[in-house]
Amino acid sequence: VLVLTRRANQSIVVGNDVVVTVLEVRGDQVRIGIKAPRHVTVHREEVFAEIQKANREAVLSAGFDAELTLPVPKPAATPQD
Amino acid sequence: VNDVIIRSDRFGEIEIEPDRLIEFPDGILGFPESRRFAMLDANDSGLYFWLQCVEDPALAFLSVIPWEFFPDYAVDLSDEIERSLAVAAESDVLVLSLVTVQADTRELTANLLGPLVINVVAKRGCQLVLADSGFSVRAPLAVA
Repeated sequence: VLVLTRRANQSIVVGNDVVVTVLEVRGDQVRIGIKAPRHVTVHREEVFAEIQKANREAVLSAGFDAELTLPVPKPAATPQD
Repeated sequence: VNDVIIRSDRFGEIEIEPDRLIEFPDGILGFPESRRFAMLDANDSGLYFWLQCVEDPALAFLSVIPWEFFPDYAVDLSDEIERSLAVAAESDVLVLSLVTVQADTRELTANLLGPLVINVVAKRGCQLVLADSGFSVRAPLAVA
């Protein structure tokens, strides 16, 4: 892990084309701006972690049952003609 | 070309033509090494599919086509995603939600926050993260 100190309005360049800028520091909150090419996905780590966890749960839980009862959708209201 | 043989924990030995396998170049979140999956009908509803990993015989995801269960659900594909999946027509795209059996209630839920998007023609897929969408990772599959 690279640790470095930045002040507001200072940036870090990651690779050739990702720029992370500290916009504002207020108490224990930091506002950050990220400039990255469109193909680079940027997400809060919590969202990633939540989906990783859900994926693992999905694998484990589906392993419990040899025969799962799979719900069918409620029939859609048929349009009147 | 030889068929691929998967010795699946759940399904036993599966023999499948390599060009029917679906590749996830970036893996599935939490399973970065698992790239190729066989898509198997889970029943005859046409709504549920197992995704059996080729590289890991113990890894199989149950998935569901979400639209009929969640009429208000929407997945917006960016140009970047369409390009990376080589989407040529809307009909190429299949959206699947991973299904979890809740340990306490035995209820089945679908992950709407992190859908799988698959180009069924190019046999390429990825898992999207619909951050800030408000969609649930555990949306109950309502029983009719």
